[in-house]
Amino acid sequence: MSNAATRLSSTDLQSTSGVERDDEQTLDVQVLKDAAKKALVNALNSASFSSPLNLVNGAKTLVLDSTLAGPLGLVTEVALLKNHGVDKMFWLEPGPLTSTTTNVIYLCRPLIKYVKIIADQIKRSSKESHKYRYTLFLVPRTSTLVSRILEEEGVLGDLTVSSYNLQFIPVEEDVISLEHDSAFRELWVDGDETIIYNSALALNALQHTFSRFPRIIGKGDYASKLATLLTKPLPEQQVVPADALNLPPPFDSLIILDRHVDMVTPLLTQLTYQGLIDELVGIRNSQAELPLSLLKPPSAPDPTNPSTSQSSTNITPVTNEKTKKHFLSASTDPLFADLRDLHFSSLGKRLNRVAHRIDEDYKARFEARTVAQLRDFVSRLNGLQTEHEALRLHTGLWEMLVPRTRTELFNKSLEVEQNLVASYETTAQINAIEEMIAQGADMQTVARLLCLASITAGGIKTRLLENVKKEFLQAYGYHLLPLLLSLSASPLSVLLQNPSPASTAAANKLPFTALRKSLRLLIDDNPEALEELENDIGYVYSGYAPISVRLVQCVAQKSGVISNPAEKASADDRDGKGKGSTSKKLFAHPIVGWKGFEDVLSTIPGKTFDIVQKMPSGTGAETPSLSGLLRPHEQPTTTVVFFLGGCTYTEIAALRWVGRQNKGRKFLIATTGIVSGASLIESIANEGKRGSGK
Amino acid sequence: MDSAVEHPTSTWEAMPEGNVFYRRLQLYSIPGKLPDLSDFIITGCRNGGPIALMRDTSKIIAIGRVGPAFSRSQIQVFSSADEGLLLLNWDQGKIIRFGWTADERLVVVNEEGVYRLYDLQGDYQQHSLGSEAAEMGIIDARIHENGLVALTGSLTLLEIKDWEGGKPLTLANPGLSEPPHAWAVIPPDQNISRHVEVLLSVETTILAVDNLESLDQRVARGPFSRVSPSPNGKLLALLNYNGLLWVVSTDFQRSLAEFDTQTAGAEGPVNQVEWCGNDAILVTWKDLAILVGPSGDTLRYFYSGAMFSITELDGVRVIGQEVSDFIQKVPVSSMSVFRPGSTSPSAILFDAWESFTRRSSKADESIRTIRPELAAAVNECIDAAGHEWEPYWQRRLLSAAKFGWGFLDLYNPGDFVAMGQALKVLNSVRFYEIGIPLTYSQYQHLSPMHLITRLTSRNLHLLALRISSYLSLKADIVLKHWAGAKIARSKSSTTDAEDEELCKVIVDKFEKLGKGAVSYADIARRAWEVGRAGLATKLLDHETRASDQVPLLLTMNEDKLALLKAADSGDTELVYHVLLHLHKRLPLGSFFRLIEDGGERLAPASRLLQVYAREQNREMLRDFYYSDDRRVESAVLALEEASQMTDQVATITSVKAAENFFSEDKDRAFEAKMMDESARLLAMQQQLEKESDGKVKFFGKSVSETIRTCLMNGMSKKADKVKSEFKVPDKRFWYIKLHTLTALRDFNGLDAFARSKRSPIGYEAFVRHLVEAGHLKEAASYVIRCDAPKRVGLYVLCEDWRAAGRECKERGDKKGLEALRKQCPNSLIARELDTLSASMK
Repeated sequence: MSNAATRLSSTDLQSTSGVERDDEQTLDVQVLKDAAKKALVNALNSASFSSPLNLVNGAKTLVLDSTLAGPLGLVTEVALLKNHGVDKMFWLEPGPLTSTTTNVIYLCRPLIKYVKIIADQIKRSSKESHKYRYTLFLVPRTSTLVSRILEEEGVLGDLTVSSYNLQFIPVEEDVISLEHDSAFRELWVDGDETIIYNSALALNALQHTFSRFPRIIGKGDYASKLATLLTKPLPEQQVVPADALNLPPPFDSLIILDRHVDMVTPLLTQLTYQGLIDELVGIRNSQAELPLSLLKPPSAPDPTNPSTSQSSTNITPVTNEKTKKHFLSASTDPLFADLRDLHFSSLGKRLNRVAHRIDEDYKARFEARTVAQLRDFVSRLNGLQTEHEALRLHTGLWEMLVPRTRTELFNKSLEVEQNLVASYETTAQINAIEEMIAQGADMQTVARLLCLASITAGGIKTRLLENVKKEFLQAYGYHLLPLLLSLSASPLSVLLQNPSPASTAAANKLPFTALRKSLRLLIDDNPEALEELENDIGYVYSGYAPISVRLVQCVAQKSGVISNPAEKASADDRDGKGKGSTSKKLFAHPIVGWKGFEDVLSTIPGKTFDIVQKMPSGTGAETPSLSGLLRPHEQPTTTVVFFLGGCTYTEIAALRWVGRQNKGRKFLIATTGIVSGASLIESIANEGKRGSGK
Repeated sequence: MDSAVEHPTSTWEAMPEGNVFYRRLQLYSIPGKLPDLSDFIITGCRNGGPIALMRDTSKIIAIGRVGPAFSRSQIQVFSSADEGLLLLNWDQGKIIRFGWTADERLVVVNEEGVYRLYDLQGDYQQHSLGSEAAEMGIIDARIHENGLVALTGSLTLLEIKDWEGGKPLTLANPGLSEPPHAWAVIPPDQNISRHVEVLLSVETTILAVDNLESLDQRVARGPFSRVSPSPNGKLLALLNYNGLLWVVSTDFQRSLAEFDTQTAGAEGPVNQVEWCGNDAILVTWKDLAILVGPSGDTLRYFYSGAMFSITELDGVRVIGQEVSDFIQKVPVSSMSVFRPGSTSPSAILFDAWESFTRRSSKADESIRTIRPELAAAVNECIDAAGHEWEPYWQRRLLSAAKFGWGFLDLYNPGDFVAMGQALKVLNSVRFYEIGIPLTYSQYQHLSPMHLITRLTSRNLHLLALRISSYLSLKADIVLKHWAGAKIARSKSSTTDAEDEELCKVIVDKFEKLGKGAVSYADIARRAWEVGRAGLATKLLDHETRASDQVPLLLTMNEDKLALLKAADSGDTELVYHVLLHLHKRLPLGSFFRLIEDGGERLAPASRLLQVYAREQNREMLRDFYYSDDRRVESAVLALEEASQMTDQVATITSVKAAENFFSEDKDRAFEAKMMDESARLLAMQQQLEKESDGKVKFFGKSVSETIRTCLMNGMSKKADKVKSEFKVPDKRFWYIKLHTLTALRDFNGLDAFARSKRSPIGYEAFVRHLVEAGHLKEAASYVIRCDAPKRVGLYVLCEDWRAAGRECKERGDKKGLEALRKQCPNSLIARELDTLSASMK
């Protein structure tokens, strides 16, 4: 963290180019939101129109599974639900349900624990001889499993089971998410591959809405399964329409990466503004729990969030101060769009500059001499005040975060991380981690660092590992033994001993040291390299480039892997600031698969694939030749990057950065959900407790 | 040439008053093909469909005429051209009613509340009207194209919707005390409410019953012996016991026509009251049919012998002993072209064309006179062609149209081509061997697809295939039916080679004609149903959609294959489907073996089973792990259970069980040791709780937390004991103690602790922690014990500027002092630092 000063200017630079990001049209993903909204309304209506009796009495009680509330809040607002006859809303929780309407609608994911609660509630009310009409909507599709359990509980005949097909939700203008938080654990711990199939359905729906993916490229065993599913006809699949002839298809390819291909990245502490909020405060479904004092003056209750109206399971935060969920999104807060991807160290300066600008703008009123000028100022006043409000919030948030980044433990963990990715004295780092355990660091932080050490060093020496595991269990509890077992078990294998015991195959280890070189993951500490640091995706981790994003670059910006595309531009920029760097931006090269990086890819565990999708028969060309895939020059296109198992805010920031370096290619980031190292560890650690839902 | 075929108008008859013409087309001549219709109960299928006959047991028949074939219950089915299609033997309870569905299946309802759906091949599906119906018995039923309504012995009404075998719905109770005199049903698709409506003639009135209510229509002209709704459901023909035929709208708001049948001069009782299209009613007696027009006008038709009439959308079909006729109002376009003396443009166009064929110059003259309306005339000729039965006249009309459009600048021949195609299809199916006398209007109403399914159900696959390729329709329905019939007909051989051959024939045909769009799963299911398991498996191999494959494989008891296919599909839903199904059916042991033997390919399925079992069936999961020798998983399961238990003893037992599982695996010595520690800790915590009289909770806490809790509660000795028992490293112990004592604000205790021996964590940790906790003064007191070079910084951290300054002075660090001077918060301290600085020289 020594080169903070140089980094300041660099990150400023990258965001100035960010201001002009709207020069090329982005794909309008809001249509997905509208579709999801419409489907919900249809579902609600169908629940009341299925019998003519309910034409009269259409009021309904909606019972929501709490993990669905967040995603649903991104799609709709309470007012819409009320308009469609939703009278009351409850969380799906164990215990009796008191509904005043005859129509009861359950909306939940097809999880066994939810179904059991529902069955219990139905049985209770039938005992009390209340007569309700139950409808159960499963998200995103119906399930035999659920029917079976309802049958076992003896209530299958009492309710109508249907589905609400909630798929990709736009969380930002360039990010769409399935908001399925537990995807990672389900895949790599439970081995439940449902999410792969659901992702395939969602991606297919995406193809249906926009256009086919002419090419599917990716890395990872599960990613490969997903790609195979996408090439097979799915039963629920609608026919992908042939692209309209006059419009070029918006997508040039789909890049699928599964989380396991790059486990290093989420284990590191995210250092962008948004990433750090996620690390230190936590962001769920684009909402962060912020102290009430930050959000004052008190505005009307947040309508996007159903939990504020019926909140009974509010998690009480550690601090005594009251908190409130705040919706963090660039769509409602333009200032946040400028700030979210900044490295945290340059945030203060940026905030300062914005403050100055706003101040200047306010001062403009003194210069208003004529009535017209005054009127002009007044008309801008409202916008200024909103901006002012946003600035106040972010400054407050910044002030809140700064002390947390100054604690000894936080800095120690950063230091260990940096040393580990540089493979510097692994044994010393393990000792440092042990010391952190002694100092009472978070369980998640320690687990993250241990996994990181194992991956970067290809395993930890047996004695060392057993020692630190013992410390871990003694400090955080023996009940975490299953967590340690899960982390070391195949296929996750992120906490291994070295040499590995004979019984387990040691074949699929990430050759981290080799990759660091071939993918230019770490920017060296010499002065010339520092220059690079300013202009590389590595800025999101203070000098470490996420493997996942490098892999995307291997496909979509090959030069960016070898050297920096923006380097030259920035050098020129220094000569003449006025010229701007956009004019020199190169046009994005067409997608030609992994070409040039096949060797590197083959060393990373997991299947590598590159599938050219056949065009639907009937459009003429049977198999497009390679030249057919090369688009006409200067044709803007979108590349979809799908993270199976979730992605971090830093990866989003890095991909945005990659997108800005070239003209003609936009990235649409699709993911099963947004994760952080802490949330991954948390979800695995809680696995054992799932059964206690009853 | 012209005389060979009669002019269209020769079949026309005008109503006595007015200009309305009706025509009677002879469809087929069928002398001697049918038995005496008067001995039978008959039901006919609309749209030129077949008729079914059943002996009317209420009638006495001379013995001589009853052949052996009639000695038991039989139903005979004839095509409209009276070719015998089917002979059904009925061995169930007494038949109450039979009728036809829209897709030409014969519905037979018996008194025990069972109904069967027969297709034209004699295969049937059997459904029940429910237990209530079985108990009460069924006394009557009305069958319409898409459902039926049955009247039970307790005089309530049951409705069956669609022919899927769904649960019967109970309609509103009409509160009858005796069966209605007559009743009828208006099908749902003809009602505004989209629900079926039942009309019951009770006493002098009519009750209208739907699923919500029973409404008395307050009619006083009953009781009625016939209730007959029109094909569009808007009008009702009622015949009362005085012989008065009354036509009224179904809502009884408008009375349209009345006719006294007793004045008709016919003998005997009325046989049928059937609608002719939507605007006339045919009333039949033994050998007389009277057509009653909208204004009460009548036309008489005589038949030799009994007859049976069937309402059609656009007319009425009459099947007599010798002829099969179609009576309808003459279509507008035909009227326009052929009505004697017609001067309509189309008539003139037709005339012009005839002149032209005779090479008469009148043609040109005629065309000129109708020039402005020529396009309309062309269209009318095309339409009229559609309504002609004779190909001769169809051709003439189309030629006239073609002649006419030659005079037009712009004309879209789409309609012409479509009509030509339609007529070609219609003429081919009207052929007596096929025997579907479908009119053009009916064809338009039903769609070509419907016609094709009717052909396939008669096993006329070649014709169906030709028609579908002629109309460029997808051939998959035909192919599917063909394959099904092929399988059913082929002798049920058991040799593999024959199966192989048949499979190959089917696959070849499907790929050649169906373009791969045909589902093999359906055919395979059919093969399975007729007991050809081998063939079914072979056919299924060609199916690409797993969701179609798997359910059938399950019914075929191909468990392993089903599971493999499901796992390969990647659809977890499908895997669950198979797993849950098999779990129910197979003994647990073989169920497990099936999954374990699957190896890597079934690994996803195995994991899904574990996910399910962990939540819903832990007993099974335990068995599963045990049977597969999965020690680690068994141990984890035991641990999960331990974490959910409330009883301390049970928890310890579970942890010990986990330890045992781990110790059985030689690679898990570490885990076993940890579990041993865990169990010992729990036991110790129990002890600690006892010693603190249960006031302090220990159970379930980690080692570190246990130490902390001991210290918090002044059990410092116990903390030491825990430390030594679990070999807690000094470092961690010191941090815990530092944190705890700080939290307790026990600074004396902390001081004593710090002096107890040399700190393994150094004293900087003390300073920093105390600063973070806000105890600056106490923190400063430890700075002196830290490394000398760090002291200045640490003093600054404690905000003890004076001490920091002194430290600089002692070390002679002038630069450090200057730096301090710059940082310092106020002038007071600055001055002091300045003095220090000055004193240094």
